[in-house]
Amino acid sequence: MPTPTLTQSIVITLIQCVLVVAFVFVVVPLTVFAERKVLGYLQQRLGSTRVASGHIGITGWMNRGMWKMGRVPVLSYWRGIPGLVADVLKLILKEDILPAKADKFVFFIAPALSMVAAVVVFAAVSFVPGTFFTLPSWFPYVGGLPVSGGIADVNVGLLWILGVASVGVYGIVLAGWASNSKYPLLGGLRSAAQMVSYEVPLALSLLAPVVLSGSLNFGEMSSRMAIGLPAWALAPQILGFLIYLTCGFAETNRLPFDMPEAENELVAGFHTEYSGMKFGFFYLAEYINMTVVAALASGFFLGGPWLLPFGLQGLVNPYLPAFLSWFGEPHAIFFVVKIIFILFTYIWVRGTIPRYRYDQVMSVAWKYLIPMTLFNLLLAAVVRCFAV
Amino acid sequence: MFKNEEMEINLGPQHPSTHGVLRVKLRLDGETITHCRPMIGYLHRGVEKICENQSFFQGQVWTDRMDYCSAVANNLGWAEANEKLFGITVPRRAQYIRTMLNEFNRLASHLIWLATHALDIGAMTVFLYAFREREDILDMNEAFCGSRLTTTAFRIGGLREDLPPGFEKMVQKFLAKFPSCLEEYENLLSENRIWKKRTVGVARLGAEDAIAMGVTGPVLRAAGVPYDIRKAFPYAAYAEMDFEIPTRTEADTYARYLVRMDEMRQSARIIQQCMDGMPEGPVMAKLPKILKPEVNEVYHATEAPKGEIGYYLVGEKGSSNPYRFHVRAPGFINLQSLPKMAEGGLIADIVAAIGTLDIVLGEIDR
Repeated sequence: MPTPTLTQSIVITLIQCVLVVAFVFVVVPLTVFAERKVLGYLQQRLGSTRVASGHIGITGWMNRGMWKMGRVPVLSYWRGIPGLVADVLKLILKEDILPAKADKFVFFIAPALSMVAAVVVFAAVSFVPGTFFTLPSWFPYVGGLPVSGGIADVNVGLLWILGVASVGVYGIVLAGWASNSKYPLLGGLRSAAQMVSYEVPLALSLLAPVVLSGSLNFGEMSSRMAIGLPAWALAPQILGFLIYLTCGFAETNRLPFDMPEAENELVAGFHTEYSGMKFGFFYLAEYINMTVVAALASGFFLGGPWLLPFGLQGLVNPYLPAFLSWFGEPHAIFFVVKIIFILFTYIWVRGTIPRYRYDQVMSVAWKYLIPMTLFNLLLAAVVRCFAV
Repeated sequence: MFKNEEMEINLGPQHPSTHGVLRVKLRLDGETITHCRPMIGYLHRGVEKICENQSFFQGQVWTDRMDYCSAVANNLGWAEANEKLFGITVPRRAQYIRTMLNEFNRLASHLIWLATHALDIGAMTVFLYAFREREDILDMNEAFCGSRLTTTAFRIGGLREDLPPGFEKMVQKFLAKFPSCLEEYENLLSENRIWKKRTVGVARLGAEDAIAMGVTGPVLRAAGVPYDIRKAFPYAAYAEMDFEIPTRTEADTYARYLVRMDEMRQSARIIQQCMDGMPEGPVMAKLPKILKPEVNEVYHATEAPKGEIGYYLVGEKGSSNPYRFHVRAPGFINLQSLPKMAEGGLIADIVAAIGTLDIVLGEIDR
């Protein structure tokens, strides 16, 4: 295999960037759509069905036929999808209102900060270990070169992820402050306290995989967690996963921890004064953050690109018959499926449980989650000491 | 170096959880409420004055538009107040039908309460589940009087029409499925840890305070006072019905939730009894073409879903309009307990308090 020159590797990295950003911007709208639909079905309604190509053409004809038969047409289930385009168009075309007394520069920079912090995390996420695919030889300039499964699978990947993700909180705090309005201020204050509190158990819960795998590199961690651990390691992983997921819900401001934007208390929280694409950036950042949390959870706890979660793959692999060996290998599709499953869990939880009160959210973090993570860390250390 | 300042903030009049156009002036110390004053009047239409310029028959239309979530209960109070004023006896079948529709209305109103209260606290799914059952009740309203929300269901002296054909079947179908629906809501809420954390001990209003402020309805009963006008001063056909008054002693938001859930069960029981014991006969008393009272005044109170709704009517000799009309609106009286409930709590608690009071601004501002 040829070694790429410096410029060639830069081009390959750019290709990877385009692929990852494309992945993010495909997953996010689909999550929004899934949220409408899944929430709809949880609540015994259809979700969005309106903006539709379903009125015209062959699908429209079939839909009308089914309505006439008194059935809800199957095709109408997909009819909300054009609505996503309409949503984005609306956000772009809408008037961008700047409150008269807002701090103009900070007001402008806050959504960008949220958005950038959310996207940049993906740089360190490795979708599949080693080579993802090899570029075809007819490809200009970089033909025949391998493309690895992550943009920058560096050996401080986890540090990068945690560091950049915590920059995102500035976006929210600054947005709340810069709006110079009372409800956003309250939202900003809440999010400052909440996100700083939940950073602690979040980081601590991710320390357990670090201890178990002995690495900070995303790809290495996920492969060791998936296939390199004994059966012992199951307990700290499952506990850690649950804690991590809870903290992840809080970090992304989703129900039951959506304090900064609790719509029934603070109208819209920190983004009350935002409109147009600036609001769109916050909206996107929230969903990208969800995807990030899902990616991390599946990478560290659910076995990443391997099929089975919690390191079970490593236990099963020796006994796997030859004709099933495809399932014993890492594939990006498994990773994506796990991300989708956790995104579904987000929506599922939102449809099921109420919202905590602000002080209760804090007590959950400090009184329960942090002691639990410390215990989990201890457990992981014991496993590491005796079993690995 | 550090200044400790309180922030004044307006909750409403446009706010997702003030159930209309209520405005609450809050003074906050951090997230804690130190001072809370509800400001009302944004939906004032002068219903009482309008009714004084209209005949007794026309007034009922306006009672629909006071508490639009429990229009039938308002209609019942209006019709009975007038019947008291003119000394009309309503046929027994009409009494039964009125009782039944009133209880259906109680269910509808409580379902709206459950839906919005749960939504305020963040449980979104209950909202749509409750609206699903309310839809059936509105369908029954529609079958009975052609209108779903603003029903104008009754006439002074009885009913305009008997029950439509097929109504009994609708009722039985509803009663058959309703208990399982209630269970569904309770599965989502009753033992939910977050729901309990948000409601237990929140927005307390003890029996003494409640009585001192004239609070009625489920809020009073959740404080342990078994006062229900259906039992205390029976009207319509309630004297012949067998039902219990659910009470709790905790006097908090969770107790009010339990009381209202139990009330829904009792309402279903009353509806069943009305269907079983439905007498035959006419549904309208003989009335003169124009009602003209002697000089006379009457106060008639009924148990609306939200509490005691009282109609005070003064008749004038030779006039077909009421001389004076006043409504004792339960939401209006109950709302004055909001500062007592909310002060000292957090912002999130005032949302729960407004929800648990079950206010409708159409009725408060009239």
